[in-house]
Amino acid sequence: MDINWTTFGIQLVAFLLLLWLLKRYAFGPLLGIMEQRKQLVQDQLANAENSRKQASQHLEEQKQALQQARKEAFDIIEQARSTSSKQADDIIAVAKNEASRLKDDAVKDIESEKNKAIAALRGEVGGMSVKIASKIIEKQIDEKSQEQLVDQYLKEVSSK
Amino acid sequence: MEHISPVVHKWGLDFDFAAITMILVTSIIVLVLALLAVRGASVDKPTKMQNFLEWVIEFVINIIGTTMDVKKGRPYLILGLSLIMYIFVGNMLGLPFGIVTEAHHGATLFGLELDLKGEEEAHLAWWKSPTADVAVTAALTIIVVLLTHIEGMRRNTKHYFKHYFEPYIPFLPLNLIKEVSKPLSLALRLYGNIFAGEVMIGVIVSGLGWVGIIPLVVWQGFSVFVGAIQAFVFVMLTMVYMSQSIIHEEKH
Repeated sequence: MDINWTTFGIQLVAFLLLLWLLKRYAFGPLLGIMEQRKQLVQDQLANAENSRKQASQHLEEQKQALQQARKEAFDIIEQARSTSSKQADDIIAVAKNEASRLKDDAVKDIESEKNKAIAALRGEVGGMSVKIASKIIEKQIDEKSQEQLVDQYLKEVSSK
Repeated sequence: MEHISPVVHKWGLDFDFAAITMILVTSIIVLVLALLAVRGASVDKPTKMQNFLEWVIEFVINIIGTTMDVKKGRPYLILGLSLIMYIFVGNMLGLPFGIVTEAHHGATLFGLELDLKGEEEAHLAWWKSPTADVAVTAALTIIVVLLTHIEGMRRNTKHYFKHYFEPYIPFLPLNLIKEVSKPLSLALRLYGNIFAGEVMIGVIVSGLGWVGIIPLVVWQGFSVFVGAIQAFVFVMLTMVYMSQSIIHEEKH
């Protein structure tokens, strides 16, 4: 087996030239592109991770906001309930007061009316009894006693 | 009749035109493949060829990764890529056909007389795998082995010179034989496999004639397999030698 040293030298130079050309024009740029892609993928992964974190954070916030809103709604309902019951109590109390006042007024009115009526009745009865008495007296008193009576009145008047 | 190479003598050199042609053809094919892959290459929308070449790159990175730390082996990635593509394409080129011409004494090429080895008449083979020539594989091997020694001296200086005398000084001859056997085995393995494949194809074609079509197809399929394996093995061994040279293994 003999080596053709010319072929050997040509191959040596050719391969080194090929190596240089490939490095310069093919593999260099392609490896750069692969590196860029790696970078891109890493960036996107980081972005995705960030987005995920943000999303979970937002979710947490939303949950808390929902909880807050629920609590507030509950409070409002509770407050409304207590206000309404208080108002109802107030209304009832006011109505009761009013009613008792009205009743008292009515009682007072009745009382005063009764008194008035009694007073009026008393006057009436007095007058009537005077009239009845005067009528009875008119029938029964004679001239003499009438005169005597007149005298008596006159006396009384004059003595004053 | 045996096929011989078309060789002419000039300036005291022997120009083997079959080898030169095949070296050029293989280099151009590899270069065109690579340039096609890079043309229109993009980060987010790789073309088909780009995908293919990136797959090859990943493949070679994996080979490097099996022998050493990928970061340390990174500088040899382009060497490995060029080697595997060149050797694979070279191995495949000799398979599909051959060009053989008949030449008589006194035939010339580019005005130079062809060397027919003293015969009156010879069959010249113009088309073959470049890797079926021992000079070609030897050149590739020398590049690789020289590089391993240079890198060993440069990046692993102390251990590089020490390892010739390990484990004891009298082991120097053994270590030297080991260093010599590396390029020999690397060059001869590739050459032997591919050359044998081509010889076998020649034997089947010339010996069996039309009957040989079926064994020829079978043998060519096997040769494709062998060619791929040999390209892989060459690059694998390159990286193994490189890692042995540049990495100082800590003793436990």
